[in-house]
Amino acid sequence: MLRLIATFIKEFKILIVDRTGITVLFIMPVLLVFIMTLIQHEAYKSLTQSGIPVLLVNKDNDSLGLAIEKGFSKSSICELTIDKGAQYKTTADIKKKMVDGKFVIALVIPENATNALRNDVEGIMKRLFDKNAAIASDTGKVNIEVVVDPTANRSFIMAITSGLKEYIASIKTKVLFQIMGEKIGKLMNIDQKVNMPDQDFFVYKEEYALREGKTFYQPNAVQHNIPAWAIFSIFFIVLPLGGSIIGERSEGLFIRMRTFPGSYLSILSGKLFVYFLVAILQFSIIMALGKFILPLLGLPVLDIGSHPVALITLTVSLSLAAISYGLLVGTIFDTPQQSAVFGGISILIMSALGGIWVPLNIMPHFMQTISSFSPLNWALLGYYELFIKGGDWHAIQYQVMKLFIFFVSALLISYRVYKFKTRLN
Amino acid sequence: MSNQSCITISKITKKYKNSATNALNEVDFEINDGEIFGLLGPNGAGKTTLLSILCGLVKASGGGATIFGHSINDNPERVKRILGVVPQDIALYPTLSGRDNLMFIGRMYGLSGAVLKNRVDECLDKFGFDTNANNQVKHYSGGMKRRINLIGGILHKPKILLLDEPTVGMDVQTRTSIIEHLRQINENEKMTIIYTSHYMEQAELFCNRIAIMDKGRILCLGTPQELMIKEERADLEEVFLKLTGRKIRD
Ligand SMILES: Nc1ncnc2c1ncn2[C@@H]1O[C@H](COP(=O)(O)OP(=O)(O)OP(=O)(O)O)[C@@H](O)[C@H]1O
Ligand SMILES: [Mg+2]
Repeated sequence: MLRLIATFIKEFKILIVDRTGITVLFIMPVLLVFIMTLIQHEAYKSLTQSGIPVLLVNKDNDSLGLAIEKGFSKSSICELTIDKGAQYKTTADIKKKMVDGKFVIALVIPENATNALRNDVEGIMKRLFDKNAAIASDTGKVNIEVVVDPTANRSFIMAITSGLKEYIASIKTKVLFQIMGEKIGKLMNIDQKVNMPDQDFFVYKEEYALREGKTFYQPNAVQHNIPAWAIFSIFFIVLPLGGSIIGERSEGLFIRMRTFPGSYLSILSGKLFVYFLVAILQFSIIMALGKFILPLLGLPVLDIGSHPVALITLTVSLSLAAISYGLLVGTIFDTPQQSAVFGGISILIMSALGGIWVPLNIMPHFMQTISSFSPLNWALLGYYELFIKGGDWHAIQYQVMKLFIFFVSALLISYRVYKFKTRLN
Repeated sequence: MSNQSCITISKITKKYKNSATNALNEVDFEINDGEIFGLLGPNGAGKTTLLSILCGLVKASGGGATIFGHSINDNPERVKRILGVVPQDIALYPTLSGRDNLMFIGRMYGLSGAVLKNRVDECLDKFGFDTNANNQVKHYSGGMKRRINLIGGILHKPKILLLDEPTVGMDVQTRTSIIEHLRQINENEKMTIIYTSHYMEQAELFCNRIAIMDKGRILCLGTPQELMIKEERADLEEVFLKLTGRKIRD
């Protein structure tokens, strides 16, 4: 016990004067969380919250124009500005505002668009009953102008234009039936106007795939970035830990270590324990950042779910996996430079594969398969379960198990490598 | 100083795995309780190897030794508690202070609380440290590092102290004062001291007995006077050169 305390005090004192170590372990993570969350918050926001800024210039002011107005104002993907043609008289007016970034897409419904549509439908009806009726030349064409910001996301534009087409089609059907009803009424001498119910036949309802009985969590920049960068930072322990293990092996200190009574392994456990606490501290700091600091910047408050025991279990397994990886790197390599380069690069690769930088669901399928080999990915999936899907211990048990197996394997391999290296004498 | 032996070395042979020749060849002698014993020899003679085997860092390929009756092969843990070791290389944490290094080493030998603190203060004081003991070791001069390194071996008052070139790289003043301290420790705490050195004059004055070795073999052993008489030379350096030749070692 005394030896453990001795090692603990020693490691602690070494760590607090190690500027590089402190920067890597505590300052870098805080900056990463800040920067990445704020950057991605904008992206998530334009997707999910206030929507795409759309300008609708409605000069028609009849059924068609109103239907399009109504359709877009119900839609959640756009933030609609409606003008009746008073402010935006010409296309040039619109373009000017769009260049300033006010709108991403603008739709201009011309005057008398509804009348034109009606004429078109009536023409069709006429031909239906009278084969000799002439095809009306240009009366039925409605020119809807669509002005687009060239830097706008194509999928946004697609969403808006397909919405537009949908509203036009539904209005056209409605007008068709109205006119047909009038004609049939006239034929059969029933003086009755057919009133089309002003309701959609198909009603769309969005649902979220959640575990049973769980409330809905909106996935947002905070819920992804906080756990992601916490995992990344905890794994970056490999740099100071690997360096420290190598330093102790090369600076003549190793000789002293081994002339102490008791085994070197007990000294090593003291060191690993310190870094374990460092990992837990890192995690707590980043969580506190998400809960208390980021909301001050207008970001959503971090939701850590409602299963503290599962959260602690997952975090402990993550920390154990990270320190065992540091131990492995520190045991395999012989110079601090080698360990820092390999350790750093391997964490970068494993984090990229693990979905830390880019969410997994936008990766190609074969990459997603590879990412299931990254311990950072196991941890991330675990936190997604707890933070986003509202899962409990059962939802994370496989991830915890994988992390734990990684921990034990890394310990065993380190032990074999250590034995092999010290056997030469 | 008694003539009772505290270390009995019997036919120790060492062949490193990646080396063609033996680093030690049937080395066989005794060290008496309470004496200051000097192990002299040119580079590569096998001095460090012999000390490393005694303190359990390296396994002997053949033979063995007992320290106060405990076999180094069968009871290495017991032996470790009897010994104090001062490595040839500086074995300190560069970013810790000299004092924090010593506190750590003391705890690893089972000292704690006021006993540890007093012992560290006492040793620092004896070896000429004041508040500079609280500075980081990386800012120390070579001599200061050597002194802290040395204190690390005696904190727990071992019965036997193994020193591998403790005064290398120190100026004459520091060297003389270190040797003086070691002599005091030897007398006051009845600590047996085994040390290796390349300083012949120092060894001649400081050691009760000396062994000169080369190529893994002991060439001669006795008090400095005995060796000078036997080899018919006026000082130890002449004896050394006569026995080991003038050829530079590789
Ligand atoms: N770990 C090792 N592996 C292989 N050979 C070694 C090892 N350590 C020492 N040797 C060899 O064993 C021999 C004795 O070396 P040792 O270090 O014991 O000499 P020494 O007397 O302490 O020399 P010096 O005065 O230079 O310190 C040398 O030939 C050396 O090259
Ligand atoms: Mg040597």
